[in-house]
Amino acid sequence: MSAAIRIAMALALGMALSQAALAGGDAQAGKAKAAQVCAACHSADGTKPTAPQYPVLAGQYDEYLVRALKDYKSGKRKNPIMQGFAATLSQQDIENVAAWFSSQSGRLYTPHESEIR
Amino acid sequence: MLQRLPAALVAAGLGLAALAPAAFAQNITGNAAAGKEKASMCIGCHGIVGYRTAYPEVYPVPKIGGQQDQYIIDALKEYKSHARWHPSMQAIAGSLSDQDMADLAAYFSQEKK
Repeated sequence: MSAAIRIAMALALGMALSQAALAGGDAQAGKAKAAQVCAACHSADGTKPTAPQYPVLAGQYDEYLVRALKDYKSGKRKNPIMQGFAATLSQQDIENVAAWFSSQSGRLYTPHESEIR
Repeated sequence: MLQRLPAALVAAGLGLAALAPAAFAQNITGNAAAGKEKASMCIGCHGIVGYRTAYPEVYPVPKIGGQQDQYIIDALKEYKSHARWHPSMQAIAGSLSDQDMADLAAYFSQEKK
């Protein structure tokens, strides 16, 4: 095996591991955190928000939820309520709550003309 | 009293004028069938399972089917006003009227068949 191939394999392995790390939230830890921080508005499993302006989180893409929370935390996405809550979450908390909500089944779906009345 | 009345009327009039736009906005009712006709610009990205934005950062576009009606409207308004950042969504939302947004929200918020 040439050195170049070995390096390429190591890089590929590294990328695979970092991809896994991206989706590395602990859903059970996320459930506990969500109960304290998110549930009052989004409901404990993210299926039944308490007001029409709050999004359903159950079944949303993990990475999208991470992105949203990071952007709220940094202030890139502006929402006074969410900025306050996201500020209390660590990077690990964000990955955990994203893992929790994305793993719940809810009413979200990818719209396709054939699937909508 | 008679002298104060006009001032009171003006104040009441100003109050109504200030309330009118908000009241009007709330009176817009979304029509799902109309939304379906306007959804072609959304489906190109939001209609593909697992579709990822290619620009400017790579992450999955959110599932919007079954999402809450008012959340969709608020998101579109935030993109249109540039309070929320994303080049493609700002451009698309910029082309939408309040009625378009309500119609699209009515369409996408429906339960899956």
